Amino acid sequence: MEKKRVADDHEVEPAVPVRVDRFGFVKQEQNSAEGLCRSRSASEYEREERRIRKWRKMIGVGGSDWKHYIRRKPHVVKRRIRKGIPDCLRGLVWQLISGSRDLLLMNPGVYEQLVIYETSASELDIIRDISRTFPSHVFFRQRHGPGQRSLYNVLKAYSVFDRDVGYVQGMGFIAGLLLLYMSEEDAFWLLVALLKGAVHAPMEGLYLAGLPLVQQYLYQFDHLVKEHLPKLGEHFSQEMINPSMYASQWFITVFSYSFPFHLAIRIWDVFLYEGVRIVFKVGLALLKYCHDDLVLFHCQTEVVSVSYNFVVLSLEPAHGSLMHWI
Amino acid sequence: MASTGLSSSNSSSSSYDLSFKILLIGDSGVGKSSLLVTFISNSVEDLSPTIGVDFKIKLLTVGGKKLKLTIWDTAGQERFRTLTSSYYRGAQGIVLVYDVTRRETFTDLSDIWAKEVELYSTNQDCVKMLVGNKVDKESERVVSKEEGMTLAEELGSLFLECSARTRENVEQCFEELALKIMEVPSLLEEGSAVGKRNILKQKQVHHTSGGGCCS
Repeated sequence: MEKKRVADDHEVEPAVPVRVDRFGFVKQEQNSAEGLCRSRSASEYEREERRIRKWRKMIGVGGSDWKHYIRRKPHVVKRRIRKGIPDCLRGLVWQLISGSRDLLLMNPGVYEQLVIYETSASELDIIRDISRTFPSHVFFRQRHGPGQRSLYNVLKAYSVFDRDVGYVQGMGFIAGLLLLYMSEEDAFWLLVALLKGAVHAPMEGLYLAGLPLVQQYLYQFDHLVKEHLPKLGEHFSQEMINPSMYASQWFITVFSYSFPFHLAIRIWDVFLYEGVRIVFKVGLALLKYCHDDLVLFHCQTEVVSVSYNFVVLSLEPAHGSLMHWI
Repeated sequence: MASTGLSSSNSSSSSYDLSFKILLIGDSGVGKSSLLVTFISNSVEDLSPTIGVDFKIKLLTVGGKKLKLTIWDTAGQERFRTLTSSYYRGAQGIVLVYDVTRRETFTDLSDIWAKEVELYSTNQDCVKMLVGNKVDKESERVVSKEEGMTLAEELGSLFLECSARTRENVEQCFEELALKIMEVPSLLEEGSAVGKRNILKQKQVHHTSGGGCCS
């Protein structure tokens, strides 16, 4: 539904027409992901339709059968989520698996209260970042347009809801990603579900003063690299490279910041169902994917540049296999 | 989407005489990433906020020497200082950036950022450069050039006003900094000592000052 609205807004705009990909990002000529935007063949289209029917049956009308199904067949749910949630059901399913739907129902009117009546110490900081969040997406690129207003409202509401966390850069990308699939209020409660830990471990430590959870995850990731990719771990030690140089944004934004969007949403499907371990697994998978290139470089900055930029680019054509590695 | 350090990935084969580490600091939104992107490439675009750290590499010739500048771009938001503080180590040059249209970004340089430099920089001789950005918005200016010069004097730093949008003085900023670094014997020596020796030295620093900065 949200997607439809985005498209309408865009058509109303009298400005120069822009070409967008299927997710609503303005196409750049040098965008190498052209293949992803090609029209689908008839068989692909049929397969997608079958998948959607299966998913609809699984979740029931408005998600009514979801809890029942997940209790009976958790392994089927896990398998289907790893294959990717159909894009038209993504928003609803994200709310179901994150536990945010329950929070919304338990707290009627709370979001409205936070948006309209409360003031936040972070308002200026948020405003300053609004136009810098997904600036190439049609929903967010219009100054003071509906996208930017929603993003501001969600972030402001959260900064009031949890004044210890307030607003931290990076949260905008998470909220922005959610807003592409659901309403403001739904996005807000999903943010609450994640940070307060409705289903999985709370994420608020990623944003609290001192970023304690970021520090912990980076420390753990460092050890996981040494354990699972010993050759690379040794190379990183020699070159004085630590995960804070390339992985902090992976954890802080759960790959919603500088990662190809079509991959980010697949990671989010799995992340919301299986928790933060997926961020570790994707991170390790990325390093593994570029392992042979990474060990060749003998200069701190060059290795780092490979590990967080080259990785992303080189993955473009191989996005299908990413999910096999995690 | 967000900024990436792509320009750095294909620079490994080029040769250079000296290699310096430069750090960009200052409040969120003053244009640190924009200065860097303008310096590295020709594009002038709106950038996403920096999360944690990012960096880019620029090869250039200054004073007849081929230089490799590794420029670390840090997140300006206060909450990230816990992550960015470790990047001061080993920097030969530090660029302190403020926005001439926002006074608080200027006062924060002396109240906060200069203190961060004192706390975390491991290089006593490290060259500082004060930069007032966004001079293209002359009508919105609230910090005068004279104030900038006075602060630069207090901090013992170089000073320039520039605009990432119009590219005015952007290259000069990094070139003047590099030239000044090359005038300092200890920094010059560090810059030419690339490779293993440098790494060992950094490791020792790491060991001795390990708990110092955090306690």
